[in-house]
Amino acid sequence: MLSFALNAAFVMVGIAMLLGSWRVLVGPSLTDRVLALDTLYINSIALIVLFGIYLGTSMYFEAALLIALIGFVSTVAVAKYLLRGDIIE
Amino acid sequence: MSVWVEGLVAALILIGAGFTLVGSIGLVRLQDVYTRLHGPTKATTLGVGGIILASLVFFTAQTGVLSVHEVLITLFLFITAPVSAHLLAKTAMHRQEKKVQSTRGEPWQQ
Amino acid sequence: MSVLFAIVLLPLIAALLPRLVQSMGRSTVAIVTALPVLLALLLLLGTAPSVLVDGELLQAAVPWLPQAGLMLAFRLDGLAWLFALLILGIGLLVIVYGHYYLEKSDSGGRFFSLLLLFMAAMLGVVCSDNLLLLVVFWELTSISSFLLIGYWSGQAAARKGARMALTLTGAGGLALLAGVILIGQTVGSYDLGTVLASGDLIRSHALYPLMLVLVLLGVFTKSAQFPFHFWLPHAMSAPTPVSAYLHSATMVKAGVFLLARFYPALAGTDLWFVLVSSIGLVTLLLGAWMALFRHDLKGLLAYSTISHLGLITLLFGLSTRLAAVAAVFHVINHATFKASLFMAAGIIDHETGTRDIRKLGGLRRYLPHTMALATVASMAMAGVPLLNGFLSKEMFFAEAADTPLYGSLNWLVPTLATIAGMLSVAYSLRFVHDVFFGPVPAALVAHAPHEPRRLMRVPVEVLVLLCLAVGVFPAVVVGPLLAAAATATLGGELPEYSLAIWHGLNVPFLMSLLALTGGVAIYVWRAPLFALQRRWPRPHAPAIFEQAVQALVAVAGRFVRFIDNGALQRYVSWLMLPVALIMLAAMASRPDWLGEHALTPVDGLSILATIVAVLAALATVVLRRQRLVALLMISVVGLIVSLAFLRLSAPDLALTQLSVEVVTVLLLMLAMYFLPSRGVIESTWWDRSRDLFLSLSIGVGVGLLALFAMTHPGATISTFFIDNSIPGGGGANVVNVILVDFRGFDTLGEITVLAIAAAGIYALLENLGLCLPIYDPEGRPWAKDRSPLVLQMISRAVLPIALLVAMYILVRGHNMPGGGFIAGLITAVALVLQYVASGVHWVHARVPHNYHPLVAFGVLLAGLTGLASLLLGYPFLTSTFEYIYWPIVGKFELASAMLFDLGVYITVVGATLLILARLGKLSVVEQEEGN
Repeated sequence: MLSFALNAAFVMVGIAMLLGSWRVLVGPSLTDRVLALDTLYINSIALIVLFGIYLGTSMYFEAALLIALIGFVSTVAVAKYLLRGDIIE
Repeated sequence: MSVWVEGLVAALILIGAGFTLVGSIGLVRLQDVYTRLHGPTKATTLGVGGIILASLVFFTAQTGVLSVHEVLITLFLFITAPVSAHLLAKTAMHRQEKKVQSTRGEPWQQ
Repeated sequence: MSVLFAIVLLPLIAALLPRLVQSMGRSTVAIVTALPVLLALLLLLGTAPSVLVDGELLQAAVPWLPQAGLMLAFRLDGLAWLFALLILGIGLLVIVYGHYYLEKSDSGGRFFSLLLLFMAAMLGVVCSDNLLLLVVFWELTSISSFLLIGYWSGQAAARKGARMALTLTGAGGLALLAGVILIGQTVGSYDLGTVLASGDLIRSHALYPLMLVLVLLGVFTKSAQFPFHFWLPHAMSAPTPVSAYLHSATMVKAGVFLLARFYPALAGTDLWFVLVSSIGLVTLLLGAWMALFRHDLKGLLAYSTISHLGLITLLFGLSTRLAAVAAVFHVINHATFKASLFMAAGIIDHETGTRDIRKLGGLRRYLPHTMALATVASMAMAGVPLLNGFLSKEMFFAEAADTPLYGSLNWLVPTLATIAGMLSVAYSLRFVHDVFFGPVPAALVAHAPHEPRRLMRVPVEVLVLLCLAVGVFPAVVVGPLLAAAATATLGGELPEYSLAIWHGLNVPFLMSLLALTGGVAIYVWRAPLFALQRRWPRPHAPAIFEQAVQALVAVAGRFVRFIDNGALQRYVSWLMLPVALIMLAAMASRPDWLGEHALTPVDGLSILATIVAVLAALATVVLRRQRLVALLMISVVGLIVSLAFLRLSAPDLALTQLSVEVVTVLLLMLAMYFLPSRGVIESTWWDRSRDLFLSLSIGVGVGLLALFAMTHPGATISTFFIDNSIPGGGGANVVNVILVDFRGFDTLGEITVLAIAAAGIYALLENLGLCLPIYDPEGRPWAKDRSPLVLQMISRAVLPIALLVAMYILVRGHNMPGGGFIAGLITAVALVLQYVASGVHWVHARVPHNYHPLVAFGVLLAGLTGLASLLLGYPFLTSTFEYIYWPIVGKFELASAMLFDLGVYITVVGATLLILARLGKLSVVEQEEGN
């Protein structure tokens, strides 16, 4: 039961990431691309957590946490760049 | 691990993954950047929350000790996702990205 | 034998002192300089009974780099003792003299520090018992003499002279190093005793000519032998005490010392005879001839020194045992009379303000005392009986007279020797007569020079007295010293010789007589000679040297401009081209890149992710003009690479990749803000094809290399790390244990580089004025809201969470994925978030933001952790660990490597913030100035 759910979830998250990547590649607007990249980061978290359950190890937890942090910082920084140009002022 | 717990984990995983997928579908299918913001920031965040909840239940059941550190990710995401969305919306408005017909009204100007 | 170490190391350690006490007055500086030298001299004299009388060989050794054959080994035999005596004795006199010579405005501390450093280097050269150590000290003499010659760095002549001396003696030092290595490899040891005992082995070796030529290059450059003699006259722009010390008694004698030192190992072949004696003969004559026509007092002495060094070289070249004794004897005599003459020249310069012989005259009225001293010393130089110069010159003439080795040209050496003797008499006479006798030039009458301070003359008096004492009672005064030194030089029994003033009416005496009368005659009828010399075509050696240097600089400049044209693409392609070529060659030579190990099965998700990564990479290239879009594409690639690391069970790599990724993105955005959005020049077709070729070949090459490495069985070093991680390093995370323990030294080097890079970037950005764009690339004005409130508030909430995560990753890094580097980047990113959200002013008002000391502290902490193990008697960076039980927390482990990791953490935090905050501040400064 669990393995079926995991496999299904891998497929679903994989498709979600593919869709996100498509949006990054085609845009059309810059905001779209940033949004899609942010989504990709969050999808990666889901993927990593699923992978942890699949392997039965919590070894990958920090990576997920780190992606959450850097995804946020990247998005904020790019948004600031688009708004103000200068990200540290 | 009992069947119930396994079932619970499986259900949470499927729900989470489903929401994640829905969020991304929204990202692709919706018409302009303002509506597209909804998909990932709401559905995907919730979806990841579901998967993390599954992880929490799974590892608690596996080790017998309450596994709380997953909560940290959820907490973090739930705090930051609205800020990201807010900033992106600000950016889109600043850059005057194209709007579709159905994205109407500028309530802050009223 | 600790006395030996004390003699060499006392001046070396004392070299620090003069600068430290500089503020305490000039006399204190001189006393502080003189005392250690005096002490070393007394220690040396204390060893006289055992070395000189009993003929003992004192040795002391401490391993330095034993694997490379380098030992801190010293020896004190007769030869070393003689030179050490000259170095310390004349050094002491020069210190006294220099104290009175230097002007108030000169930095006495710097002068005496350098002098002591040079003295230590010279002592090291003469006392070395290891060939490599000898070369080390040899180079140190070149460097310290460079600094001394260029002491008055404000004068162009001093700088030029110093540079010329350094170039020549430094190049000679390199040749010597090569020669010494060849000798060491031939003999199988760099131990001097072993080498000296293996003379036959060396001389019969096929590479003997090469060894000899290389060593002689070192000797001839140092001792200013033709054709390398021209640096010495130009080194005369040094302060006179330096000339008196370096260019009479020590530095230039290092070359002939080496001839004496290697005499048992290298001498005795025809090649030695031809090379050494002919160069010596040419130098002897050339120096004497040039000296006669110099108008500069010190220039005259410099060429005379060249000539006398040529004489000593010639004697060593003649290869008879008696000639070697004469050479050693002349080393002593030349040092005494030449040092005193330099000092006398310095006094004349000091009192009259000029060294030009044409502007001097009749000084006997003003400087009677100095005149007496200079006259005696000049007579010694000319070889007048009853003075020391006469004795060694007599021995030289004797050796020259019965040199049978030139075959039918037997008459040549004695004739040329006599001519050189005549010239020597003539320029000595000129030095005395033109300066102290004749009419007084009008300029000097008004100036009315007077005798210098009493103590300034004392060193000259001591040296002149020695000239006399040796000249009158040679056997008593210098007999034992000469015997001991000559024995050590020859490495065996001494030949029969007698140190007497009168040997009867023989050939050498007649030659002496001829030289004296001929010299006087040359001086009296010098006018035609001067006229002849003026018409003589004179190759201006310094100009040729300068031209050669300029040509070399021009060639190097062209090469650099070809490689380094300011375009980053070109540097990178130069670096990558060899890599690509090696890759291609390797692929061509090993077609079996797919080995026998089975490939890992691949899942659909991985294939999908790979396709996305490839597409994103291609999109980066296609969309490179839209910089931000390209940056986002790179982020996608980075994310997928991190996921791949996780998929392939490398969480440490993934964590590192992720944190580096975000810092890179931030950095690029900070830089992109200042990049112009218009007027970008597109690369040429040729450049793009080159880049395509490079990237394709390197990408495919690396891929195949990885495939090769992973599909071929073979022992790798990783098993060692995995087996020893817990027992040896006390950590379960092998990656981290490698970083902080097994390869801790590498990591220390890397964080040092990081710290230097951060400081460098900071310095480069200092005072950088950049125009702030008012519009974004699409021509829109920037948004008004500087720091959105929501962002500010939430970022502050994120900070403690991020810091907690960073601490967690730092502490557990030894056993689980993580470590100082990742934790440092996370901390830095969390702090940068505050900069982004709330601005520089807000952060700097709340967080200590002086990151320089932080970086330094991090490197120091890591370094000191390593040193601590040294204190406990283990090699540098040995780590230790202990399991500790704490109530509640439970059993946990403490490893010294964790402290090291903490140092890494602090360095990374400091360096990252130093760079990012400085880049961010560029605009802040501008805005403040604008307001």
